[in-house]
Amino acid sequence: MLVSGMGGDLGSRVAALLEQEDWVGDLLGIDADPPRRRLQRAAFHLSAVSDHDRIVELVTDFDPHVVVHLSVWEPFSRASPKQARSLTNDAATTFLGAVAECRSLESLVVRSGIEVYGRARGSATRPDESADVSPTCEFGYMLAGIERTAAELGRRVGVPVAPVRLGGVLGPHVPSPLGRLLRMPMVPFSALADPPFAVVEDVEAARAFVAAASRQLAEPVNVVANGAITAFQAIRRGSRIPYPLIGPEWRIARVVAELSGAPIPEHVLETLHRGRLADNSRMEELLGFAASGSTVEVIDKLYAWPSVVHVPARKQVA
Amino acid sequence: MGQVIRMPVDRSDTAPRVTAAKADVAPMGPLARWDVDDWGRDESMARIAARFNHLRWSTTIGGHERLPKRGGAVVVINSRRFALTPWFVALSLSDEIERPVRFVGRPDSAPFGSLARRLGGLLARPDEVAGALRDGQVLVIGASGTLDPRKLGDIDHRLVGPAVELNIPVFPAAVAVSQTSRSARIEIASAVKPSSKRRGPLSELELTDRVGNRIARLLKEFGGARTGTPLDWLPFSGMGGD
Repeated sequence: MLVSGMGGDLGSRVAALLEQEDWVGDLLGIDADPPRRRLQRAAFHLSAVSDHDRIVELVTDFDPHVVVHLSVWEPFSRASPKQARSLTNDAATTFLGAVAECRSLESLVVRSGIEVYGRARGSATRPDESADVSPTCEFGYMLAGIERTAAELGRRVGVPVAPVRLGGVLGPHVPSPLGRLLRMPMVPFSALADPPFAVVEDVEAARAFVAAASRQLAEPVNVVANGAITAFQAIRRGSRIPYPLIGPEWRIARVVAELSGAPIPEHVLETLHRGRLADNSRMEELLGFAASGSTVEVIDKLYAWPSVVHVPARKQVA
Repeated sequence: MGQVIRMPVDRSDTAPRVTAAKADVAPMGPLARWDVDDWGRDESMARIAARFNHLRWSTTIGGHERLPKRGGAVVVINSRRFALTPWFVALSLSDEIERPVRFVGRPDSAPFGSLARRLGGLLARPDEVAGALRDGQVLVIGASGTLDPRKLGDIDHRLVGPAVELNIPVFPAAVAVSQTSRSARIEIASAVKPSSKRRGPLSELELTDRVGNRIARLLKEFGGARTGTPLDWLPFSGMGGD
């Protein structure tokens, strides 16, 4: 079993869950950052996505049966949108290309998102898995690109491919631009639209990848928490100060948010203006479990998770 | 020897937390409890809108007991141009049967689209209708608006199609809303079943036609807008009008 992107919060959670599964034999992880949690069985290789030859060699030598591709950088999570796009594309090319060379490959699970459905005017409010992939933001295009590449690979080598379409992932250690924005003391929201959106907790997202891998799923699945929330409701639940915006001042708000340490990427802005929901009713059928929590509960947890406390060095040594 | 990391004791009084605590006492506190459901319908806002509905119209609803207590249903109605009839019927029915009723055909631009979504509006897309019906929702679908309240416009069979496909009951309903007085009436007939002979899309077309015919008959049964002597038109006379 191979997990690309094992260093990230989602990747290390998936790896930790896979370690507990009886059906998982050898577990290999590759990422540019070390795993965020202690793993017992997994073998991990630190490698930048640009190190194409090394990754191809590692993957082909390992010859996995099942691959979970999580090497996806959300814009403004840990990288600027430009870097995120470049890293995500490089990772997809390298990992998926290498995986295609593995003779033992039986199943491929890729991380995607509900951003692939797009939020154009007149598009479905709560698209299900059969809705057209028609992204309208940079992150959506990135994810749709991964899905397309993986699907072509699957067709070519004859393995099932499961794109797991996640809602906005929130968790205590997830570098989510949406979570970061909502936790600011003063949060801008669209006064005229204030549309609903759905999110998913990192624990649930990790479970979805493990279930998709164990069932060798061969179709996309939406993974979001039940229910929905609007930005204004989230702001009030978190006891933040709502800052209603109507239109042109969003540019200023974006700059101010970026300077305050919570840059707003295009897909989050789209969520705040047009909403982002997805039909999760097939989760039980496809993954074997239904969403356990609601979006409102995840948002409440978001505000309950402790902040990062910066402790200054008592003695300056350098 | 290891050094003990001393955590800051005043952690709970950081600047953002102080700001947040101040915001908490703002008069908008109760608004934090407002929730929207999976489709973005805001129950509190829908209840307020229903109250305004009551202030404007005294609505008589017949046949609402035919609607299922659980599971999906489609109510097809006649609608008058510029009168937001599906909005009115969805709010009135929702209040009567005590479960959310959504209407199909909301705009998708702020602020009206957002308001409509809060009141239970869905886009007029077959996939949107199918998704809501799979979720067990009650939907109101309006025929295209007409200027004559006694005439029925076209019913979009593509919106009725998902009900046939998912085996959801389709109820024809006639609506008469007075523009000058407070009287409004919604009459729901029994469900029209699709033909068992058809397996393909003809089934939807024929069902839509039958639903349309049933609504036309109901409208005819309603009679004219004003009947009887002019004395009956006066409100509070106990005969017609209000």
